[in-house]
Amino acid sequence: MDALLTAADSDYSEAMVSADSHTAADEKAWIAQAQRSDARAFEALYRLHVDKVYGLCLRMTGNVSEAEDCTQEAFIQAWKKMDKFRGDSAFSTWIHRIAVNAVLGRIRKSKREQDRIQAVTDTEPTRVATSDTGELQDLAEAVDRLPEKARHVFVLNAVYGYSHNEAASMLGIAAGTSKAQLHRARRLLAQQLEEQGFMA
Amino acid sequence: MTDKFDDKLDRVARQLATEISPERDLWPDIATQISAPKRSRWTPMLAQAAAVVLLVGASSAITYVAVKNDSGPVVSIAPELVFEQASFGGNYHLGPGFLDARHGLRAELDVELARLPAETRSDIRANLDMIHKAIVDINAALEEEPDNVMLQQKLLRAYREELTLLRRVGGLTRNVMKRNDI
Repeated sequence: MDALLTAADSDYSEAMVSADSHTAADEKAWIAQAQRSDARAFEALYRLHVDKVYGLCLRMTGNVSEAEDCTQEAFIQAWKKMDKFRGDSAFSTWIHRIAVNAVLGRIRKSKREQDRIQAVTDTEPTRVATSDTGELQDLAEAVDRLPEKARHVFVLNAVYGYSHNEAASMLGIAAGTSKAQLHRARRLLAQQLEEQGFMA
Repeated sequence: MTDKFDDKLDRVARQLATEISPERDLWPDIATQISAPKRSRWTPMLAQAAAVVLLVGASSAITYVAVKNDSGPVVSIAPELVFEQASFGGNYHLGPGFLDARHGLRAELDVELARLPAETRSDIRANLDMIHKAIVDINAALEEEPDNVMLQQKLLRAYREELTLLRRVGGLTRNVMKRNDI
């Protein structure tokens, strides 16, 4: 496998994806190859989905460094679990679930390590760099300031369009809890955004 | 909060970017992780299980030998037992007292064994071999996981078991001598 991870191979995989000519059939083939431990095909899948995964991790954590770690963890876990992907859902949905688990796992780990929590708390959060501007940026920053659980539900439901059932399943909570957290998120966002003339 | 606000919030939220490129290429780190040889979870687990089984077996065998010990023909034997070097991870160290006792008993082992019946000698040697194999296996597992506290504890227990066995060999030979004297 090492031989498949050389710089040349990396360029090859990047080219496969950056050409924007990939089709669903290409993705299906890469999945099948990755399931046979083909790291080059898995890199193609990475190039295809990394922005979606990183975007979700960044919206959920609100922190660049945490998002990078969660993204890497998500793809490493995906590689380990490739044989379990049956195609019942889209690959993007499958890896989104893994990414949500990576974020939640990281949060649980952080809570266990009190010293680390202190270290994170004491550190100024890295400014999230996105293409959002104007009121989009205002909303993005307000979302970053939401309490953790409300933020997770808002991101999955309002930003990524997952249903309450889907979001609840990903987060390991009840659908009713998801609805309650979304209501809470809306209320808190209203308080923050109305002061900034969001409705103007 | 009004429906108007909710509507706008939903509309703007759906416009937030869902695909964001990381500021650096994350693939090299991922490639390193996934290309690393998979460390079998079974190796340390098997080593631990084997160590437990071997140590329990050795203890039982020694107890059996001590109980059924009887005198027999005394023959000299060649020193064949090889002792593993005592080594550990970061959390445990063998004290100088332990090492002195171990080295002293090792030096006397052949002399002590020569005083025992052949069957007893064979049992003891088999038990020592089992303990040494456990030590080798645990050390091998520790090379992969040097900070695994459970493995370190198993290794410490194996060394203690070895020391106990060596001491019992001395005790057995003293019993033989006493009975012969009588």
